[in-house]
Amino acid sequence: MDNLGIFLQILFWGLYAGCIYILLATGLNLIFGVMKIVNFAHGEFLMIGAYITATVFFLTGINPYLIILVSMLALIGIGAVVERLCFRPILGTGKLNEIFLSIGLIYIFQNGAAMIWGDSWQSVRSPYDGITVPLGPLSVPLDYIIIVALTAMILIALYLFLKKTKTGMEMRATSQNRKGAMLVGIDVERIDVISFGLGCALAAAAGTLWVVSGQVFNPYIGSMPAVKAFTIIILGGLGSIPGAIIGGLLMGIAENGAAFLLGGIWKDAVSFIILIVVLVIRPTGLFGEKGD
Amino acid sequence: MKYQVLFIAVLLIMAALIAGCTQQAATQQQTTSASQGVIKVGVIASLTGPASNVGTSMWQSAQVAADKINAGGGVTLKDGSKAQIKLIVGDDESTQAGGQDAATKLITDDNVDILVGGYSSAVTSAYEQTIAEYKVPYIVTGASSPIITHRTDIDTSYIFHHCPTTDTYGQYTTQFIDQVIRPAVNGKLNASDARPFRLALLYQDTAFGKGIQTAVNNTITKNNLNIVLVSQQSFKMGESDFRTQLTAIKAANPDALYLGAFPNEGAPAITQARRDIGLNTIFLSPENNDNAQFYKDLGQYGEGSIIESRFSPYTAPTGPVTVDQAAFKQAYFAKFGTYPDMMGASTYDGVFIAAQAIGNAGTTDKAAVKQALVNLNMPQVIEAMKNQTISFSPDFRESSFDLWMEQLSYNVTIGETRPSIVWPDNLKTTDFALPSWYTAGSA
Repeated sequence: MDNLGIFLQILFWGLYAGCIYILLATGLNLIFGVMKIVNFAHGEFLMIGAYITATVFFLTGINPYLIILVSMLALIGIGAVVERLCFRPILGTGKLNEIFLSIGLIYIFQNGAAMIWGDSWQSVRSPYDGITVPLGPLSVPLDYIIIVALTAMILIALYLFLKKTKTGMEMRATSQNRKGAMLVGIDVERIDVISFGLGCALAAAAGTLWVVSGQVFNPYIGSMPAVKAFTIIILGGLGSIPGAIIGGLLMGIAENGAAFLLGGIWKDAVSFIILIVVLVIRPTGLFGEKGD
Repeated sequence: MKYQVLFIAVLLIMAALIAGCTQQAATQQQTTSASQGVIKVGVIASLTGPASNVGTSMWQSAQVAADKINAGGGVTLKDGSKAQIKLIVGDDESTQAGGQDAATKLITDDNVDILVGGYSSAVTSAYEQTIAEYKVPYIVTGASSPIITHRTDIDTSYIFHHCPTTDTYGQYTTQFIDQVIRPAVNGKLNASDARPFRLALLYQDTAFGKGIQTAVNNTITKNNLNIVLVSQQSFKMGESDFRTQLTAIKAANPDALYLGAFPNEGAPAITQARRDIGLNTIFLSPENNDNAQFYKDLGQYGEGSIIESRFSPYTAPTGPVTVDQAAFKQAYFAKFGTYPDMMGASTYDGVFIAAQAIGNAGTTDKAAVKQALVNLNMPQVIEAMKNQTISFSPDFRESSFDLWMEQLSYNVTIGETRPSIVWPDNLKTTDFALPSWYTAGSA
């Protein structure tokens, strides 16, 4: 493999990693944009999505890519329950309450998953395991092309939902001005539930893609991706969906580039270095606006 | 509103309760009173977190050992009385902070007489200061970095290492590469013995992984081996995505790749190398990977791989330990429905060593038990030891094991690979062979 080939290969692995981050961070941003809450337990929804995908796959043998729908629907339900029972009662009571609540949720979800599924790591084999597709100078496993395509489809669907549907427009209105939205008759509590459910569904999609890409998983996998998702939304701009997408891509590529050039131990550190640099130069993040 | 607040309060209490459930279940045998006729053995294992698979095997193996000792009447003390082994587990949560908490609790709350276990050198070394401070005899059966007993910043005289160190098995594996794989690759290429063997390393960036890296480098230099390290890549503990490092390794055209990784890292690394990167080479893994879950996760991608080992769930060398190993696996399977791994086997040994040392000392006095461990000379239990004897070296209190190398072959019926011993000659059941798909490296 020549130098160009290696460069493109690293770029591609960055793109793949970016897909997982984008879905997770977009969901987090959707929730933050509408409700302005900080949920550190967001990575646990990725973990639950991963387990739902694996469980349905082991029980039915259905193509795991199709299970993404089951996983997303299940997490919409779980997210709605969590929003209604946990976050709504403390909405507006201070960030400290949100932080402690979400830390409590991390323990509940991690230990709950360990009790249900055990805490040994697991893995799933994709039905397209071993199939590679020539892509220019690269030979790329089919699974990663499907993952990139699925991520793009989910983001396009989200874009259309937010732009073209009444509920999507109500979500955007609530995100821009909550009081104003209430004044024009939007049921913001209903919008909160929908936003939280959708955010969780995007995390579930990330969990499914994590599983089908052959990465191992256990109840504790969500913590680090959640921290990175927070980094991405701060990097991209709080509440900005395009910011989350660009930030996620940037994070995936930077991490893999650092692992190649500097060594694997720099993989996590580089994300935070970029974050610090961006915040020093542009405190509102890449796509954030003053006052966000 | 007050019901909602009440609900959140209940939810938080549930979180705390559930968080403690794993530990609660695992510590069900614990006692707070030092009742007579009981020897309290603390077992430090990773019951939760990334290393929980190995930690669970260690804890469960300790239980099988305690059952066997107690069924045989227990341990005879100096006054002729018999004492039963009572195990108390401490979950290190696969973290340094968790290890510190577990060790402190076992020593100060549970007042254990002796400690056994410890997995991950990074985790274990974090609480060695506590062991040194309270002077509790500790038989380390999982953490394999030599720093465990070689470090000089604290007093390690109460710590005994019943586990080959990364120095030992790093050196052993490098010699296997030189004596077996290198000639096979030269044979395949019709190359002369002068052709340097191209070895790559992918290692965990911890004392464990760096220990392997150091051992390989030192062995090559000291023995002037015709092996060149073409790529040395690291990763952080618990990593699951190795594609970038593997891309760099493939670009270096290695003849083989030695992974200094835990099983939850090694299995995805080999799978990603074969499936995603197209790195069709020989993968060598250290002994902690000889674990049933590792075989399951590898599937067909484990074909042709090598594991350095001293206990396997699926094979055993012909010799004095064959029957005892089979009996241990049978007892373990009967109790837990799965097979133990290597760290489980050394922890099983560790409980027997603890019982023997206390029996030899005739008391649970910690200084006397430590001295009994220093003077220990007992027959091997289930792991094959040098001279079939367990004793600790006078310098760093390390026991010496007989090691071997296994090669994995794929069994289509079960969808997993199974190991066969290929080295050394006195233990091997078959010869090492390069797989048909193997591609040698090139300069």
